[in-house]
Amino acid sequence: MTVTRRKFLALGAGSAAVAAGLSGCGSRSSLGASDELSMWCWTGSVNDDLIAQAEKGIAGTSKKLSMTRIGGDYKTKVLTSLAGKSLVPDIIGINDDVATYFPNADQFHDLNELGADKLKGDFLEWKWKLGITPDNKMMAFPMDTGPTALFYRRDIFEKAGLPTEPADVAAAAPDWESYIEVGKKAKQAVPGSAITDNITSVFLYALAQLPQRFMTPDGKYLADGDHIRKAWDLAVRVVKEGLSANAQDGSTDANAVVTNGRLVAFVGAVWWAQLGPKNAAPKTKGLWRVTPAPGGAGNRGGSFLAITKYCKDPEAAFAFISWLESSKNQAQSFLDPVLFPSTPASYTDSRLAAPDPFFGGQQIVDVFADSAKKYPGAYFSPYDTIIGDALKAELVNIEIGSKTSDQAWRDAQHQIDRELTRAGAI
Amino acid sequence: MPVERIRTVVGHVVLMFGVAVSIFPFYWMLVMASNTTPDIFTYPPKLLVGSHLFENMGNVLDNIDFFGAMLITLAASVGVTVLVLFFDSLAAFAFAKYEFPGRNLLFGLLLATFMIPSQLALVPQFVTLAEFGWIGSLKALIIPGAANAFGIFWMRQYAKGAIPDELISAAKVDGAGFFRQYLTVGLPVLRPGLAFLGIFTFINVWNDYLWPLIVMTDPNRLTLQVALQQLNGVYGTDYSMVMAGALMSVIPLIGVFIIGGRHFIADIAAGAMKF
Amino acid sequence: MAVTDTIRRTAAVATKDPAPDKPPNKFRQALPQYAAVSPFFILFAIFGAFPVFFSIYLSFHSWDGIGPMKWVGLEQYSYLLTDPQFWKAITNTLIIWVISTVPMLLLALVIANSLHNATRFRSFYRIAYFIPNITSVVAVTMVFGSIFSNNFGLLNAFLQSIGLDKIEWLSQPWGIKVAIASIVAWRWTGYNAIIFLAGLQAISSDIYEAAKVDGASPRQTFWRITVPLLRPVILFTAVTSTIGGLQIFTESQVLFGSSGAIGGPGDGGLTIVSYLYDNAFGSNQFGYGAAIGWALFILIVLFSIINWRLIGGNDDERLTKRAARRANARIAEQAARRQAGDAETEERKELTDAR
Repeated sequence: MTVTRRKFLALGAGSAAVAAGLSGCGSRSSLGASDELSMWCWTGSVNDDLIAQAEKGIAGTSKKLSMTRIGGDYKTKVLTSLAGKSLVPDIIGINDDVATYFPNADQFHDLNELGADKLKGDFLEWKWKLGITPDNKMMAFPMDTGPTALFYRRDIFEKAGLPTEPADVAAAAPDWESYIEVGKKAKQAVPGSAITDNITSVFLYALAQLPQRFMTPDGKYLADGDHIRKAWDLAVRVVKEGLSANAQDGSTDANAVVTNGRLVAFVGAVWWAQLGPKNAAPKTKGLWRVTPAPGGAGNRGGSFLAITKYCKDPEAAFAFISWLESSKNQAQSFLDPVLFPSTPASYTDSRLAAPDPFFGGQQIVDVFADSAKKYPGAYFSPYDTIIGDALKAELVNIEIGSKTSDQAWRDAQHQIDRELTRAGAI
Repeated sequence: MPVERIRTVVGHVVLMFGVAVSIFPFYWMLVMASNTTPDIFTYPPKLLVGSHLFENMGNVLDNIDFFGAMLITLAASVGVTVLVLFFDSLAAFAFAKYEFPGRNLLFGLLLATFMIPSQLALVPQFVTLAEFGWIGSLKALIIPGAANAFGIFWMRQYAKGAIPDELISAAKVDGAGFFRQYLTVGLPVLRPGLAFLGIFTFINVWNDYLWPLIVMTDPNRLTLQVALQQLNGVYGTDYSMVMAGALMSVIPLIGVFIIGGRHFIADIAAGAMKF
Repeated sequence: MAVTDTIRRTAAVATKDPAPDKPPNKFRQALPQYAAVSPFFILFAIFGAFPVFFSIYLSFHSWDGIGPMKWVGLEQYSYLLTDPQFWKAITNTLIIWVISTVPMLLLALVIANSLHNATRFRSFYRIAYFIPNITSVVAVTMVFGSIFSNNFGLLNAFLQSIGLDKIEWLSQPWGIKVAIASIVAWRWTGYNAIIFLAGLQAISSDIYEAAKVDGASPRQTFWRITVPLLRPVILFTAVTSTIGGLQIFTESQVLFGSSGAIGGPGDGGLTIVSYLYDNAFGSNQFGYGAAIGWALFILIVLFSIINWRLIGGNDDERLTKRAARRANARIAEQAARRQAGDAETEERKELTDAR
């Protein structure tokens, strides 16, 4: 490479000009052009057709939507952008850990001031309450919910001589104990078969069936209680029986075990239908079925939308989210990408009853609606992420064989104690 | 001599094995990028190049703004490189060829900054840029790296040996000021050194990951490396497409390197000798 | 702002010729030089020195980067020192560093030696060995991630095809470290070999002739002459590998970043920088992140000192030392000569190599 002096000088002068242009004062506005409302969500969390409509123009406003799908470390990206104080999106999706955002509720608009309270009656009560801060600000607007069920591969169950029809499978596996027996049979017939991708899934889905989680609303610590330990022991059992694929969350392996058929059954939330088999194993179309989960009804996940204080036009943003989450549009989001509505009016929408060819023409809505109806609801504290992460990390230590269950449990409790003390929670 | 001969052959066998190890990951990237995801995720794996390469590459272009990311990466790399070359060579020229009060002190200070790992102040750097309102913009990638201690140190070592004092004296006699001396005497002689520092800087910025991961918060304006990781996060279920993206991201730099890399390698080695 | 000012100032100063007949003021006369070195110092003040001091201040606070700061005194540091994850991050980083650097430098020596003896294809080899180094870590990690994968990895397919059990590399703390270390070694072995080669080429052939006359075996020549004479070069590679090794981040972030636990199963791939990133930006503990930065700083200083002690000084054989110094001088001289524009000779040599 040769650099002639003239070229070099021209570049130098050019870059000086660029530097001069760049160092103008930074903008404090939100992300996107002035006629756009920017939105961040993760993949598989919205219906693409509805988003495409809004990207042409949000009805009743002069704004257009500009949506970005973010993968993997979504929350890191959201928090970093809030701390970065510029180019923050107008609208962000928030997961079921919505309570962890409450200490920073001043970063968001109070949706009640934008007229949300008038819509309250349209939504499931427990879901609506999750988005409200302790001092009664409405920080997040309900999207979908996450009723759980048992997904299974009908073809493999048939090969293993197990029941194949949804009602029969549900009857054969009413609780986790019998579910483990079903898994053993499947594994005998098809070596390598697994009934969970990893240890944490069993724990989280067992937990998702309980009326209590890690803390009480008045701040009492519960995660060393029997209900947590029972879910913990169950997860350990499944692994000890050799029924876990040991493919940790978010890894390429977790997708691979769905694609290559190792995962023959899975207790999952409704949204997993899309993120799991539909995305990772399109070739298994027609082979999957859904039935009530062993251990009963549950709910895991289900998201929210919030409008940041940087928003260019909060009224237009609210018009958009209330439109996107109307009972009619939530019904559409159930068809694709299988998001379960938080608006009871959707349940009578005839489109929901459409047979799903991916599930062999089964009307899967019945299974999830039943689960949603029976779900008891549970309190999410702002510290649930801290507690849950520590428990999950130690469970993984058991699965990979580096700690015994008791040792891992003690270490988890110790770590939680340290972190909660630092956070000022206890 | 037969013994010598055998030794030579053995040497080449060893070297060729090393070359195979160096090249294999690229081949494997191509294999995965040219098959379908279900083919990749099965046992036994496909070992040969498949026929879906262009389909997968097309999917990458459909899903992310690949060329946009490349343009941002290019802008950052060129921006930093040009500024670094200018500022570093100018400072190195002054340090190497002029006596001025406090020179040794300043140079010592510059050397001391070597000891500071870039991650030490990662958080406050981010906070500082946030206060400037630079987070998410190209400025955050270019300005903080526009001059660096390594480049000045290296160019100074280079300039000391390469620029004859007589030339500077002659320029002074002609009435040339400092800046003109830099332009007429310094730059022409420093040219090979600039080429090395330029390529070195360019590659570093192009491949940088941690800093752009933190400061480029706008998902529509990512550098190539971060966009690639994002592709993996969002579309991980289509792994062959992710691999096609990886392949596309490494091609430009390797292409340029194969064409112009020979001198660079010699320069890198010589650069290391200067320490 | 600062940058443009500097450019303008530099330009203004440059056009103004110093008046030769006035009594010289040392400082005023040196204005152009100050202007020339100022961009670095100005940028460093804003983006280096200020953040460093600010990070001391930050590390005494609890702050999520969004809400208000809270003074906590030394709490961040006491939490840090009693955090098992932090110590795990340090051990992991050191293990990865050792199991990547030691084989890497040894292999690089072997390759450099073979390259030195090979007269054909030398520029082909050099390019082939250097390419891994310019390839982005993100892409490389993805490929290695799929080679080491538990369920569809090439390595496991190989193990199974020769009748062995598969190993869940990316689920085992040690397997994760092996995977990360191989990525590091793959990227840097060729680079270090090229550096060693330059060192070898700078050693005078007279020394080898003399050794031959004395009847030294090739092995003796290698260990008694080549390695000692290469000592300064080895020091350089050791120092750069140490600094690079202590800052490993991308590999674990790409492998496990989207799993919610950046270190992967059992935190097997948790390095110091990924621990920093995860705490600072994953859970927005900015004060804590600042404290971790200081821990990293202390480690790097510590290891730089150890490196110098181990390889640089502590030598009982004076002769070797003197020889090393001489070789070093030769290396520098040769490098400078080559740098100064001996490109043509170099090219001619390359051509003969290729023939």
